[in-house]
Amino acid sequence: MAFTSDLDQITRAAAGDAAAIRALVNRYSPGVLALATRMLGDSAEAEDVTQETFIRAWKALPSWEPRAKFSTWLHRVALNLCYDRLRKRRELLPDELPDRADTALGPQDRLDQSQRVKAVEAAISRLPERQSAALTLCALQGHSQTEAAEIMDVSVEALESLLARARRTLRAELLEGRNA
Amino acid sequence: MTHSMTDDRLIELIEIWGADPASWPAAERAAGEILLRANPERFAGALAEARALDLMLEALPEPAMPRALTEAIVAAAPRPKAARKEAQRWFGLKTPWAPASGFAAVALGLFMGLTVAPVASADDEMTVEVQELVVSALGFDTATYAVEDVE
Repeated sequence: MAFTSDLDQITRAAAGDAAAIRALVNRYSPGVLALATRMLGDSAEAEDVTQETFIRAWKALPSWEPRAKFSTWLHRVALNLCYDRLRKRRELLPDELPDRADTALGPQDRLDQSQRVKAVEAAISRLPERQSAALTLCALQGHSQTEAAEIMDVSVEALESLLARARRTLRAELLEGRNA
Repeated sequence: MTHSMTDDRLIELIEIWGADPASWPAAERAAGEILLRANPERFAGALAEARALDLMLEALPEPAMPRALTEAIVAAAPRPKAARKEAQRWFGLKTPWAPASGFAAVALGLFMGLTVAPVASADDEMTVEVQELVVSALGFDTATYAVEDVE
């Protein structure tokens, strides 16, 4: 259903229909921004990636062929732009590793909600980028198994492996301190 | 299509996709739920751990989409064909001289009208208001030049 309505809107957006353009932006830009924010951990960079993703989409619209869902294509473009930026960061700061603060959460710590959120965000940001992408797409954005695998251009088995490792790491970092 | 489900696979599903069956892959969801309902105690530990992590992930806020970013994206979108043609007609590089030549023709017409007309009717009396207007527009008195030329 969404696929068909996407096609209709894409056709109209390519012809410059303002309502169709705004509908596509309203529907998909929050998800793209959320993915980029989670991947990059920097809101300004995430906004740049979101804008660049849509500029590429506008260029692609006139020759758009529905081989994939528009949302899958958009998220894939955004993810690749994030990977590019993360690679450039590594090239600029090859030896700099993120601080490994103790983020284990426990009732004894009396962490308030914002501290808890920061601890979880920090733990996600320390995950290897493909694990972080898999977790963001599936656990935070609710993409289906097939859709997330398509966005990441990996098999379903590889996606599950990335997700399993991501959740295992987060459990160890965030929850094990509670049981100690 | 039905899938057989084992204890090991169900524990994997819980660890990978979380405690909520709605987040499990659609093809394995029904079989997983049947096994879970039949033996809840076997999976209670895995479910509790997964649920604790799920709650932390669900608490993460979604970033708000700034209005300025939305507008910038919309502004960069394709424009309707008619608007593109109109813009190209006036500001495009194909015929940049077209509007310029129109303005030049108007300016030349005004200049000629104000300078040649007094010569053609040198004997006509110009009102003070018209002379002031001509002087302020051109910076010199055309009537003087016209009279000098005739003399």
